[in-house]
Amino acid sequence: MRRNTFVVLMLCAVVAVALVAGAVLTPASAQGQRLVFASAGFEDNNRFWMISRPDHIQYDPFLETLLDVDPKTGEYVPRLAEKWSVSADLTEYTFHLRKNVPFHFGYGPFTAKDVVHSHAMMMRPEATATLAGFWRQVEEVKAVNDHQVVFRFKRPTTVMPYAASRAGDLRIVSKAQWDKEGDAGFDKRPAGTGSYRYVGRQQGLSITFERVDNHWKGERPAYKELVFRIAREDATRLALLLAGEAHVGDLPRELQKDAVKKGMKIHSSTFAVDWMTVYLGGQYYMPGDTAFKPDVAWTKKPVRQALNMGINRKELLNTAFAGRGSMAYVTGWNEQSEGYNPEWKSRFDQMYGFNPAKAKDLLKQAGYGPGQLKFKIIAFTEPGESEGPQVAEALGIYYKDIGVETEIEVLDWAKVRDMFRKKTIQCCIWPNIISWRPAEEWVRISYYSKSPNHHYENEFIDKQYDLLRNAIRPADRQRIARTIGDHLFDEFADIPLFWFSNEVVANPKMVAEWTYPGSGAGRSTHWHLIKPGK
Amino acid sequence: MATITIPWYAPPRVAHALRQARRYPIVSIFILTFFLVVPAVLAPQVAPHDPLKGSLSKRLKGPVWQQGGSIEYPLGTDKLGRDILSRMIYGARVSLAVSIVAIFVGGAIGTGLGLMSGYFGGRVDALLMRLVDISLSLPTILLALVLVAAVGPSFWTVITVLVVLLWARYARLVRGETLTIKERDFIARARVAGASHTRIMTKYLLPNVVNSLIVLATLQVGYVILLESALSFLGAGLPRPTPAWGLMVADGRELIVTAWWVSMFPGLAIMLTVLSLNLLGDWLRDHLDPKLRNV
Amino acid sequence: MQRYIARRALESLLALWVMSLVVFTLARFTGNPLDVMLPLEATPEDYARVAKHWGLDQPLYTQYAIFITRALQGDFGMSWKWPGRTAMGLVAERLPATLQLAGFALLISVLIALPVGVLSAVKKGTGWDAGAKVIALLGQSLPGFWLGIVLMWIFAVHLGWFPTSGQGGIQYMILPAITLGWFQVAAMMRLVRSSMLEVLDTEFVKLTRIKGLSEWKVVWKHCLRNAGIAPLTYFAIIAGVLMTGSVVTESVFSWPGTGLLVIDAVRARDFQVVQAVVIVFAGIFIFTNLLVDILYAYLDPRIRLR
Repeated sequence: MRRNTFVVLMLCAVVAVALVAGAVLTPASAQGQRLVFASAGFEDNNRFWMISRPDHIQYDPFLETLLDVDPKTGEYVPRLAEKWSVSADLTEYTFHLRKNVPFHFGYGPFTAKDVVHSHAMMMRPEATATLAGFWRQVEEVKAVNDHQVVFRFKRPTTVMPYAASRAGDLRIVSKAQWDKEGDAGFDKRPAGTGSYRYVGRQQGLSITFERVDNHWKGERPAYKELVFRIAREDATRLALLLAGEAHVGDLPRELQKDAVKKGMKIHSSTFAVDWMTVYLGGQYYMPGDTAFKPDVAWTKKPVRQALNMGINRKELLNTAFAGRGSMAYVTGWNEQSEGYNPEWKSRFDQMYGFNPAKAKDLLKQAGYGPGQLKFKIIAFTEPGESEGPQVAEALGIYYKDIGVETEIEVLDWAKVRDMFRKKTIQCCIWPNIISWRPAEEWVRISYYSKSPNHHYENEFIDKQYDLLRNAIRPADRQRIARTIGDHLFDEFADIPLFWFSNEVVANPKMVAEWTYPGSGAGRSTHWHLIKPGK
Repeated sequence: MATITIPWYAPPRVAHALRQARRYPIVSIFILTFFLVVPAVLAPQVAPHDPLKGSLSKRLKGPVWQQGGSIEYPLGTDKLGRDILSRMIYGARVSLAVSIVAIFVGGAIGTGLGLMSGYFGGRVDALLMRLVDISLSLPTILLALVLVAAVGPSFWTVITVLVVLLWARYARLVRGETLTIKERDFIARARVAGASHTRIMTKYLLPNVVNSLIVLATLQVGYVILLESALSFLGAGLPRPTPAWGLMVADGRELIVTAWWVSMFPGLAIMLTVLSLNLLGDWLRDHLDPKLRNV
Repeated sequence: MQRYIARRALESLLALWVMSLVVFTLARFTGNPLDVMLPLEATPEDYARVAKHWGLDQPLYTQYAIFITRALQGDFGMSWKWPGRTAMGLVAERLPATLQLAGFALLISVLIALPVGVLSAVKKGTGWDAGAKVIALLGQSLPGFWLGIVLMWIFAVHLGWFPTSGQGGIQYMILPAITLGWFQVAAMMRLVRSSMLEVLDTEFVKLTRIKGLSEWKVVWKHCLRNAGIAPLTYFAIIAGVLMTGSVVTESVFSWPGTGLLVIDAVRARDFQVVQAVVIVFAGIFIFTNLLVDILYAYLDPRIRLR
């Protein structure tokens, strides 16, 4: 009897605590004009020097950069820097800064000291931002005067305008705030210069911004309040959109159709932003490389070509991506890249086009009859990129048709990366979606033998890359970049699939028009350009 | 459970047969046989298509009664154009295999340890009970996530996770029963007669515990199937493209409104199977061993 | 009695220590967090630099020593997925949400189990009994996340009665709590039923009936008395199951509790946070068990004297 009474009391206590906690934790609901974006998730944190480029979406409304990306042309245009110039040897970049730009929360005007400070944040030992490595190549950042700053690099580079723009990750923050409040104050409420300012976060749930009245450029977003909601489940984001709890959302292509049926509209970025390629492991062709295993089938070029010709790209695009994408001809290159060669497009069908009969032939010539070639396809998912396993399974089905046996292994991304960094991925091929980078950067990361990622390396590429990174004249750079691209194309270095624009789905009453380039860090950028419906 | 009313006009032999049948959970047994055992055993003969082969042009076709559906794919197709019905049939096989192996291994370990713990008592007992505590306090999902992150998803990873979860309950049960039985006369007599510890445990204690074990095992098959589906949802379950029910439901989760059949049918299969198993287990418990009421 | 408490407390501490070892090793099995933290561009120098900063370049036993000495003071280190936050701080921030959800789920399951169990006992053997059993068992047969998504679509999107996800007032809790709690209904219902059956057969009740008190009055009087029927130990287990089972529910409804925290931390290989969460959960469970054992000992002298 005492036992039962006790249990009753305990239960009541639990319930009471629960309900009280609920009341206490209820945040104030906001009134007024509010736009809610349902995002698949990002590393929510204010320390931008530790956050990867795609997750910089959370800074786009309130933290600005030296240069902007024009939403229609994709060019790097002035923003916090009025104009900039580069020395003849491409090692010194001078930025002339705009005057009378106020920081939020009264931390004073923007000056060159803030640029130096922001770069210093990037140089912290724990900095893991996408371009942190690039920023470490800066030998010196000097504030010549209050409105002029010079970046001097150890070696020539053309990447700086990209890195200093909205497409990069150097967010300009206030030195005055950091002097006064340190990291703690910055974590709590970072001051920026954007047309929105930071209001607050609910960790793992949302981040809220509110419109500023005195933006230096006079940008005036249509919505007073902007909220980014994190909902990692695709079905949940769709539910949020359809229930009207969110007005813009990031949906996989499969679900975009359903949203459109219910009256939503798709807003595409102006430019293609990401590409998908299937990488073939184990292509270490530097002489003397012990990681090279000659029994890996695709070290023979005909096999690589066969693996390309076995895939019906049009069908794959239509089924896995609802037809929303364009063909990729060489991994990492599109029309915006240095060294893009229009001939790739015209030659693509003949060399890479869907031809199962020819693929089987090539395999037989290489010594692989039906059923003799077996390998693994690795699939992984990242939030917002759920098509990986589906593509892997589709590949399995295509390859079965040309007599190749595959097995799908689902790993997590970090594990896959570990494998190709350590050169232990000879067993497998894996599809991956990567964001656009300048050609030189892409080659450095993936094809240069001293790169961390070793997707495909040989002496020829190494030589060309050395030439490229020291080349100063644009004509030279175009030529060398094209040579590298041609080589990758002719050698069937991997299996390029598609280029994708960034696409968000929105309620037309809330978002009638939105032009954004897609190349901005975070993909969905330029929130101030949203025009509401009538 | 089955409340089969016997019509007044039924001929005597039929009425008698029905009266006999009433004593057994007919509905559960029927569902189980139809949904779990037959498909599992006869999958290659019964399934109309290869569960692993799909055609991208036939993806997301609805079930036969819907517009766009056809008798070729009675329950529709999934994202990759694979026949849902065939995958469900093979899925029965997978679910059954996973449950049987996991429960067998977990049960064997748990029973062995439980017997020893109850029989020897003292330090061994204390150690084991602490081990039980620890294993029950390991957040199960976490263990699965970590294991999969380390080793990659596979049949044996899932089995390991399930075994770690399951053994403790058997250990506790068997220990409890052993404690009650071991003071009885016939055990003492056996000891006096010089029987070894192992002999006593296997020949005398174990048979008395078997009833409860059967009930617990039956009740747990359903639980294991549900657990496997939860693990698949979190990406820590069986590897693709295994036609496992849990994996199928997880796969179709974003399509749950439009291409509802991808998740709905395997979900229904899970539900019916587990429900029947639970009913069967309940019936078994009521008839074999009421002591288990509080497990 | 004192000795018993002391012994049990010591055993619990031991269990907790073993847990810390287990989680420390297991977490590190998941791989190298640097692969998650660093971008594609990272060079070996970048790896070395960041590894040094987080102390990951030290040998394992050094890392464990540092971990355990700090943990004993309540410091579980800094998270590296959520920089600037301490691991324990994150757990403390998210735990109330999970407890809240679990508590509410427990409440809902009791609210369903009680009347269903009583009905089932009183009308034992009839269709009501069978029907009640099936309803309760249904909860134990549905995959949790499937139920959650279906509930979300029916009640939040189509009917618009509740919000789809997130945290706020009570209305945000209802769908996730039902998803989480329904599973327990069957077990509780069975307990209520068996306890009621025991009671309904006693001489006392028969006497009361003979005396002429209304049937229902007898039933409900006893029902209320048994409101907290779940024995203490079972209660502890339910709590444990609810807390860990909430991982799936939190994922579907974006409920910012510890379940979601753990998924993110494991994925990001944020060992510090993973360790903190597991130890806190284990600690709660072990402590509850300890409390329960002590209370049982207090109430039941036979155990003390063992």
